[in-house]
Amino acid sequence: MKMTRQEFLKALLAASAMPWVGAARAEQGSPIVVGATVPMTGPLSLTGKQYHNSLMMAEEDINKAGGINGRSLKIVFEDTQASNSTAVNAFVKLAQESKPSLFFLSSYSTQNLAVEPELKKIQVPAFYAGGADVVAEAGNEWMFRVRPADSVSAEGMVRCALNVLKAKKPCILYIQNDFGQGGARTAVERFGAAGVTVAGMGAYGQNDKDFSAQLLGLRGKDIDVLLIFNYPQDGALVLRQAKMLGLKMPLVTSSAALVPAALQLLSPADLDGVWGVVDTFIDPSVGGRMRDFVERFKAKFGSDPDPYGLAYYDGAMLAAEGLRKVGTDPKALRDWFSAVKGWQGIGHLYSYDAKGNGVFDLAVVKSKAGTKSLELVQTIKLN
Amino acid sequence: MTDLIQLLINGLAIGSVYALAAIGFVIVYSATGVVNFAAGQFVMFGTFAGVAMLLNAQLPWPVGYGAALLAMALFGALFFAVLYLPLRASPVVTIIIGTVAIGITMQNAALLAFGSWPFRLPSPVEGVNLTIAGATISAHAVAVVIVTALMVALLWLLFFRTSLGIGMRAVAQDIKAARLMGLKVNRLLALSWVLAALLAGIAGLMLGPMWFADTSMGDPIALKAFAATIIGGFGSLPGAIIGALFVGLSEVLGASYVSSAYKDLISFGIMILFLLLRPQGVFGERIQDRG
Repeated sequence: MKMTRQEFLKALLAASAMPWVGAARAEQGSPIVVGATVPMTGPLSLTGKQYHNSLMMAEEDINKAGGINGRSLKIVFEDTQASNSTAVNAFVKLAQESKPSLFFLSSYSTQNLAVEPELKKIQVPAFYAGGADVVAEAGNEWMFRVRPADSVSAEGMVRCALNVLKAKKPCILYIQNDFGQGGARTAVERFGAAGVTVAGMGAYGQNDKDFSAQLLGLRGKDIDVLLIFNYPQDGALVLRQAKMLGLKMPLVTSSAALVPAALQLLSPADLDGVWGVVDTFIDPSVGGRMRDFVERFKAKFGSDPDPYGLAYYDGAMLAAEGLRKVGTDPKALRDWFSAVKGWQGIGHLYSYDAKGNGVFDLAVVKSKAGTKSLELVQTIKLN
Repeated sequence: MTDLIQLLINGLAIGSVYALAAIGFVIVYSATGVVNFAAGQFVMFGTFAGVAMLLNAQLPWPVGYGAALLAMALFGALFFAVLYLPLRASPVVTIIIGTVAIGITMQNAALLAFGSWPFRLPSPVEGVNLTIAGATISAHAVAVVIVTALMVALLWLLFFRTSLGIGMRAVAQDIKAARLMGLKVNRLLALSWVLAALLAGIAGLMLGPMWFADTSMGDPIALKAFAATIIGGFGSLPGAIIGALFVGLSEVLGASYVSSAYKDLISFGIMILFLLLRPQGVFGERIQDRG
């Protein structure tokens, strides 16, 4: 067979275009990859496992509902453990190997702060749940928080101490990191603004196991309420040791000590006189999407969901909506998330401000006498 | 005053746990010349042996404790047979690196077997508080101090009133002379590892109810036990006990009366001072003399 010059050129053109067409088709059929850096092992996995599970559940739900405009969603996980350097390595590995369209970062502010410069370099949107205000203050326009900031939590704890417990001589115990120091600082300011002087402050290291010195030192100041800024495991240990040392004053904890993973380490007696703030009061009796989420989570993973897990589930659903509306272009996605106002998740109403804060409400709870269950005292909404 | 009593009891309780770990450390070092860097993980294994027997297998208290300690004794023997015996002809540094590697393996094995979530290991005197001079004292903390005192007394009887213990001391003093005297050196060395594992097991079982059982709990114990042996004197049993109680008390009292933010700095700062000014510690021999 003899080929004319015109036919030869057409064939050449077609052959050279083939890989591009193939690549475009392959991309259309390939899943949209989302990266998630989560503490799956080590002490921080108490909460990390929750959002690992809820992100997997969200992935399944999104794909069951038709995926993202016909493409499936695939969440690729890397373990951050309890280490900032491991968190950075996990993030860089995902960014280089999986090239995700967006990220979910851990719920630990120190890890969020460690990863933030890397995120800025690759310019991909990321949802995170660390509460420290400094994360948002860093001004990274690619980061979006799915939980209340610590200043919101601290405000809730102070309101609980002042309005519910009528505190006159409060004191504060905090974990020594960005979260604890930031929360304690905000609480001191809020108490000061209300004309109440904080009678004492105590701190402990993240790996400390004995808090008797701090607890007894603060009790010696004749205080009437103790605010505690803690992570789950140390928070549970503080509550337990407070009871062992015979502390009688009400204790107001930050949310981590009241997640199911921490509560399973405590007895009803340990929770006697314990108050606290939680991001969301998870109550299946309200019905609707909340009940559906709680029941399915429990059936799938054999444990109750916590507010952290719920926040990430909401974040995944918000991410899916953004991906459906504007595709995977990072800038378009970032702009879409920045413009979100009044998006109704299961746990919160999400409205993002210029610093990437999206949640401004939380719940004050207390333990029911003689049980390990919590009851809602009031919800707090801040402007 | 009531606060001081509570602080003293808590400091003694935590110091007692450090003491048991430090004694195990010293027994192995004296007999074999090996600094066991897996000592903290031995304590962690002790706690998880309790979790396995009391929580998972639901054994009653005495049986559960007995089974956990038996498991620890077997583990000590296994450690001797699998790590120390094949490596004993190697330079000491090789064995030390071996203990580091085994420590990491132990931590990961516990992680695989029990997962990363902590456990609440209950105490036989759970929820019981005593009131002493107006101070509320946890009965468990008092029990920890009493059990440790009892163990120290039993150890003294073993080392100074039984032929087995005297043989162990002979091996620790001069292994060649002990062999020439007809002592079964290998058996006595194995016993040193078993004893160290047993003491770590007791420390772990007592520590579980004070802290939660988690796979990362071994590292701080190892550091504090190491500091205790430096302060008390490397190779000295009374030194290990005094050093450990000192570390426990300085930790608790320092955090209360100086600064909670720098409580570890106090004990480790004192350890560094000892290394600089009196490296043999309070009771011990100079470390360089041993080599």
